[in-house]
Order: sequence, then structure tokens, then C-alpha cells
Amino acid sequence: MREFTPEELARHDGRGEAPAYVAYEGRVYDVSASFLWQDGRHQAMHGAGTDLTSSLNDAPHGPELLEQFLVVGVLRG
Amino acid sequence: MAKVAREMVERAGINVDQLLELLVKNAAAELTTYYYYTILRANLIGLQGETLKEIAEVARVEDRNHFEALFPRIYELGGELPGDMKAFHDMSACPPAHLPEDPRDIHAMLTVLVEAERCAVRGYTNICNLTAGKDHRTYDLSLSILNEEIEHESWFSEFLGEGPSGHFIRRGETSPFVSKFLR
Repeated sequence: MREFTPEELARHDGRGEAPAYVAYEGRVYDVSASFLWQDGRHQAMHGAGTDLTSSLNDAPHGPELLEQFLVVGVLRG
Repeated sequence: MAKVAREMVERAGINVDQLLELLVKNAAAELTTYYYYTILRANLIGLQGETLKEIAEVARVEDRNHFEALFPRIYELGGELPGDMKAFHDMSACPPAHLPEDPRDIHAMLTVLVEAERCAVRGYTNICNLTAGKDHRTYDLSLSILNEEIEHESWFSEFLGEGPSGHFIRRGETSPFVSKFLR
């Protein structure tokens, strides 16, 4: 499984041609195809290319919504 | 714009531009859902479709009312609706409630309907969480909409056999919670 550093993850912010990846509890998910992650932004508050582990605690949904997305790697560091 | 009203929200610590983006996205979700539910309702035919048709229609009309209630608040806070309707559609807070491949598959129709409502429930829960105790008017509005979206979800969830909702179809007025914003 590919390993991402936080810096590498940040480059996958969904802007321009970059895919949109987000991390949660060490796993990196590809959310590029999601209607709700257009241009790497989610609900005006969250950006792709980041670790959303702590943000998800305050979200109106749980991590089960990530299960539909492909895991493309693990977050290291 | 209501200049002092916006200032009060800012002073309470809310990022008003971020809140406006959320309100615009949710307004887009309401208007697009109204459109897509029109198609869904039109395709609820036959014996099974008939059982759902009236409830789908109530949800459809109430979602339109949610749009009507939301957009004045957007302008009060100094925001605006996008000038381009296609762009407005694409910025929706929820995915389009497209007609399933087989509209005669009542389970597929119900899944589209219930998932649209669930997205709305999450969206307004989020706005309520952000505004509680800080932006009283947006909180009141979002809570009113949330109450109706929860009822929409519960209707469709019950039809899916997920459990009793405790609700009946509406008797009497539409938008019992949101109507006060539609004067």
C-alpha cells in the first residue's frame, strides 16, 4: 500500500488536475469522484489533501460514509 | 442586507462568509431536489407507485418551501444567489436525486428519496450546530427546516421497512415548521 507523508497528501487537494485525497485514521481515501468533494472542498469547511480524523468527530455523519471510497494508501507521520 | 444583523453574527464568532456558502449550497440542494422530485413523483405509477406518490409530493413541495425560506436569509447576511442557474445546480450540498435506471423498481425509487433526505438532515444538523446560541435567526430557520427533513426521512425509511417512523402523512397544512418564514 502506498505511503503518503502529510506533504504528499497535501498535493492531492482536488484543485486543477490533482485528485482529491483525504485521510482518516491513517488511511488515505480517493474522494475525487464524489459530487460532495468538487474542487477538493466539502461543505464549505473541509479541504482535500488533509487529515480529517479530528474533523470527523464534529461532523454530522460518521466514518461509515468513507467506506464507499477507494483506499489508495496510508498516511505516514 | 441587514448590516447590524450580520455584525451580530460576526461578533458571535461565526465566519459569515463560510455560513453563507453553506446556506447557498443548501438552498441549491432544495431547489434541485424540488426539480428532481418532480420527475420522481411523475414516475411513481402503478399500484406500488401510487402508495408513495402523495408523500413524495409533500416532500417535494416542502423542499421548494425550504428554498423560499432560505434565500431571504442569504441576502440578509449580505450574500447572494449565483447569477448562473447551472452553477447553482452544481454547487448543491447534496447529490442530484436522479431517477433510477428502472423507475418501476420501487425500492430503488425509495432509496433515492431517503438518501436525498438523509443528506439534508446532515446538512441542516451541521448548520444548527454551527449557529446554535450565536446566530439565532439562522438557527431558528435551519431547525425548522431540519424538523421537516427528519419527517421526510422517516416517511421514506418506514416505506423501506427500516422501522416505524411514528408519523402519518400530513393532514392539513404543508410546511408546519417552515411556514412561519414564508409570510
